[in-house]
Amino acid sequence: MLLKLEDVVLNYGKIEALHGISLEVAEGEVVALIGANGAGKTSTMRAISGVRGLSSGRITFNGEDVSKLRADQRMRKGLCLTPEGRGVFPGMTVTENLDMGAYTRKDKANIAEDFDRVFGLFPRLKERRKQVGGTMSGGEQQMLAIGRSLMSRPKLLLLDEPSMGLAPMLIQQIFSIISEIAEQGTTILVVEQNAKQALSRADRAYVLETGRIVKTGTGAALLDDPSVREAYLGVA
Amino acid sequence: MSDRGGDYSYTTEGPEVAGDRKSGFMGLPALGIADRFAALPLWAKVPIVLALVSFAFYLPFLTILPFAYVRTDLSSGGSDWGGVLFVVVIYMIVAIGLNVVIGLAGLLDLGYIGFYALGAYSVAIFGSPSSPVTKLIAEKFGLSEGWAVPFALCIPIALAIALISGVMLGAPTLRLRGDYLAIVTMGFGEIIRILSRNVDAVTNGPAGIIGVPRPPEPSENYFSSIESAHWYWLALAVLILLMFMTRRLEDSRVGRGWLAIREDEDAAAVMGVNAFKFKLWAFAIGAALGAIAGLLFASKQAYVEPTGFALNLSFLFVAMVVIGGSGNMVGVMLGAFLITYLPERFREFQDWRPFAFGVAMVLVMVLRPQGLVPSRRRAKEFEDRKHEAEEAAADV
Repeated sequence: MLLKLEDVVLNYGKIEALHGISLEVAEGEVVALIGANGAGKTSTMRAISGVRGLSSGRITFNGEDVSKLRADQRMRKGLCLTPEGRGVFPGMTVTENLDMGAYTRKDKANIAEDFDRVFGLFPRLKERRKQVGGTMSGGEQQMLAIGRSLMSRPKLLLLDEPSMGLAPMLIQQIFSIISEIAEQGTTILVVEQNAKQALSRADRAYVLETGRIVKTGTGAALLDDPSVREAYLGVA
Repeated sequence: MSDRGGDYSYTTEGPEVAGDRKSGFMGLPALGIADRFAALPLWAKVPIVLALVSFAFYLPFLTILPFAYVRTDLSSGGSDWGGVLFVVVIYMIVAIGLNVVIGLAGLLDLGYIGFYALGAYSVAIFGSPSSPVTKLIAEKFGLSEGWAVPFALCIPIALAIALISGVMLGAPTLRLRGDYLAIVTMGFGEIIRILSRNVDAVTNGPAGIIGVPRPPEPSENYFSSIESAHWYWLALAVLILLMFMTRRLEDSRVGRGWLAIREDEDAAAVMGVNAFKFKLWAFAIGAALGAIAGLLFASKQAYVEPTGFALNLSFLFVAMVVIGGSGNMVGVMLGAFLITYLPERFREFQDWRPFAFGVAMVLVMVLRPQGLVPSRRRAKEFEDRKHEAEEAAADV
C-alpha cells in the first residue's frame, strides 16, 4: 500500500471532525472520497497532507509512519496536496507558482521538462504564463494549483475538490486531465462533491458521512448502489 | 457541485480589470516608474543610480535656490540639516529591516524598537569605558582604566545579541498568528525598555551610559557629534549596502519562501516550505538590521538612555512601512522619509503635528490602503483577500 490511514481522528479544538477514518490507496490507483458538505472530506485531506496534526491514529506512506511529520516533510516524501478553492499564490505569476511546486527540487533539467509537461496538460497556463495568479478565473486557478502540485513529481497527488465552483464544461475538462495524469503514472486520491464525475473516473471510492467512512467499493459499483444514487447523484 | 452556480469562474474576471484601472493614486493612473526603470538597458541604469547616489551624498551642501527650500535650517529655530538627514537614513534602515519582517514574511511586529534599543545598548555597554560592564571587566582582569571593547568588535557583538534575541523571541511566539504575535512582540519592546531602565548593573539605569564609542576616524574629531554631515554619509553608505543585501535576499530562495508563506501559509507548507524556520530567519534578519540602525544612532549621540526607546517609536516604524507600501523597499524608505522629514521641515506647525499625522494616516488608509508605493504582489494579495471576504459573505 502506498498510503494507509488507520483510525485517524482529527479535532478542531473540542470538535471532533474525523471519528476514526481508515482507508488505503495502492500505487497506480485513482481513489475517490465522496461525501456531502461537512462530511470531513477536506479534514481528511488536511490530516493526510499534514496541514493539521492528528489527535490519534496512524498514517503510513510508502511503508513509513508519517503521522508525526510536518506538512513540508511529508511533501518531501512525495505526498503533495492541491488545496481546495483559491489555493494558488495570488501575487505570483503562473510561472512563479509552478516554480514553487519545484521548490524542494534541485534537478534543473528535469524541472524544465516538467514545465513542458504541465504546459502540455494545460495549454491555457502557457498562454497566461506571466499573469498573476490572483487575477485568473476559478478554472484557471484550479488548473494552476494542479499543475503546481505536478511540478513536485509527487508519488501521491491529493486533490481537494478540483471541481469546486467551476462551470460544468470546465469540470469535464478538469476531470479528463486528472485521468490523463493518472494514465501518466501518478497515484491520485481525489475528494469530491461531484460524485458522478468522481465515481466514474475512480478505480475505487470511499463514501464519507459525518466524519466516518460508511461505504467503500469500486467506482462503478458505488455508481450503481441505490443508496449512493439517492444521496449523492440525485436519482431515486 | 457547489451551489454557487456554474458561471462563477467568469464573474471573477470582470472586477479584476476594473480594479487594475483604479490602481493609481487618488484615481489617477499609476505612473509605473519602477516598470520604466526596470525596462531600461544596463548602460542607462548605471548612470541613473550613480546620479541618485551622488545627489544623496551631496544633499548636506544643497544651497541652490529653490531646491534649498528642502533644508530644515532655513529659519532660526530650524533643526540641523545634516542631523535630520542622518535620522532620516537611520529610520530608512529601520524601515527596510522591519519590511523584511512585515512586508516580506508577513509578520506584524509591534516591538521592533526592542531590537533598535538592543543595538544601541550593545555598543554602549561594551564600547563605552564608563558602562558598568566594561568597568567590571577592567577591574576583574586588571586592565587599564578607560578600557573598552573597540568599536569594530562592538558591531559583531550587537549583531549577535540582536540575532539571538530575535530567535529567542521568535522561537516560542512564531507559532502564533496575526494579532497574537503583534501583542507578544509589543510586550517584547516594552520588556527591553523596562530592563534598560531597571537593570542598573548593566545599563546604568535611568541615567544612561555616556561615552559610546565612535567609528574609526580618518582625521581627529571627524565623527564628533556635531559633524552631522559625516555621520550622514556613513549612515548612507551603510544604507546602500543593506539595500543591496536585502534586495538579493528578496530574490533568493529564502525570499520566495517568505513570499509563499505570506500569501498562503498552508499552500506554502504543502510545497515543502518549512514556515517556522523561514519566519525565524525573517525575525532574526529584521532584528539584525534594527540593531545596526540603533548602533549607529547611539554612536552619533554618544549617549544612550531608556526614554529614547519608547513604545510609540515602534508604532511609528510600523506606520512608515504601512504608509510607504509594505513589501516594497522603495516604498518603505519613502514612508520613513516622510514621517521623519516632514515634521522637521515644518516645525513652525509643531502644535498641529499629531492632527496632521492623524489626518494623513486616515487619508492614506482610505485612498491608498496598500501604501504610497505598493508592492505589486501585495496589491494583488489585497484584492484576493477582499474577494475571499466577499465570497465568504455571499456564502452565508
